Amino acid sequence: MSFVVGFLAAVTFALLSPVLQLMARARGWTVAPVTLLAIAAIVTHGLGVMLGVFVVAQFQYWDAASIFGFCVMGYVFAFGAVYKSVSLEILLGLVGRTERRAPLSDIVERQVPALFQGRIGNLVDSGLVEPVGSHFAATAAGRTMAGRVGQLRHAFGIGDTSLYDFSSD
Amino acid sequence: MNMLPGPAQAAAIGLSLALPLVLLCYARIAATGGSGRRFRLGCVSILALYAIACIALPGQRHLDDVIGGLFLLATAMMFFYILFSLLAWGFTLTLLTALDKAGRPLTLEQWAVAYMQGGDLGTFTHNRLKLLVGAGMLTVADGKLAPTTKGMAVARLVKFVRLSTGIG
Repeated sequence: MSFVVGFLAAVTFALLSPVLQLMARARGWTVAPVTLLAIAAIVTHGLGVMLGVFVVAQFQYWDAASIFGFCVMGYVFAFGAVYKSVSLEILLGLVGRTERRAPLSDIVERQVPALFQGRIGNLVDSGLVEPVGSHFAATAAGRTMAGRVGQLRHAFGIGDTSLYDFSSD
Repeated sequence: MNMLPGPAQAAAIGLSLALPLVLLCYARIAATGGSGRRFRLGCVSILALYAIACIALPGQRHLDDVIGGLFLLATAMMFFYILFSLLAWGFTLTLLTALDKAGRPLTLEQWAVAYMQGGDLGTFTHNRLKLLVGAGMLTVADGKLAPTTKGMAVARLVKFVRLSTGIG
C-alpha cells in the first residue's frame, strides 16, 4: 500500500509540474524550469507522505519514497532529454519542414549556428557571460562556474569537447 | 509511519551514495574506456554489489524491500546520469568553459573555433548527425538529410513529451 501512495504522489507530480511550467511561461516568472521541477517534487512528496500517514496503518516511508523517486527521476530524465537536445532540435527542424528534407549545408550553416547563438543568449541571460562590444566575456560568476565544471570533469576523467565519442564510448 | 529502510533498501541507499565514488575510481583506470562506457560500468558494478548484498545480508529477504531497493538504485543512476551527461556532453556548459579557457573576450566566430578547439561548427554538426544517422533516425542521400520512419516516430514522441511536460 505504501508503494501505491508513492505512485499516486508521482502521478500528482506529473500533473503539477507541467502546470507550473505553463504558469511560469504565461506569467513571465524568472524561475528556471529545473527549479519548478524541484518545487513540484518537494510539494508532491510532502503530500504523499501526509496521505500515507493518514491512510495507511503501517506506512513504510522508504517503500513510498523509492517508487516516487524512480518515477520523478524518470520524468526529469525525459524532460532533460527533450528540453535542449541539439540532436533532437535538428531532427525536429527537419520534420517541421514541409518537404521533410534539407541540404546538409543548410543544417551546418543555418540551423546549428542559430542554436549556438540561442545558447549564448541563455548564458548572457543567466549572467554567466556578458557582451563586450562585439565580443563576449565570462563574468565572475561564469568563471567560477567554468572552474568548478573543469574540476569535476578532471576528477571524473571527462574530456572538455562535449562531442560524442563513437570510438571508445 | 516507519522511517527506517529495510536491509536491502539501506544497502541500496549506501550503494547510491557510493556510485559517484566508483565513477571517480574508474576515472583513474584507463582501461575503463570513454565516459559513457565508464558510467555503464559503474552502474553494473553497483547492481552487482546490490545483488551480493541481497544474498549476503542476514535475515529473510522481503520482496517489497528488494524492489524498493532496486527503485532507489535506479533513481540514483538516473540522477547521476543527468549530472554526468551534462558534464560530458552539455553544449551550453562547454560553451562557457571554452570561453573561460580562452582567457579573453571572443567574437562569435572566435568562440565557435575555441569551442571546437580549432575545428568549426561543421565538425560539431557532423558529430551530432552521426548520432542521429547511427540510431537510424536520419538518412543522408545526395547531400540531403531526411528523417526515417523511426525518426518521425521519435519526433512525434518528443513533441508529445514536450507538450505533456509543459515545455510546449
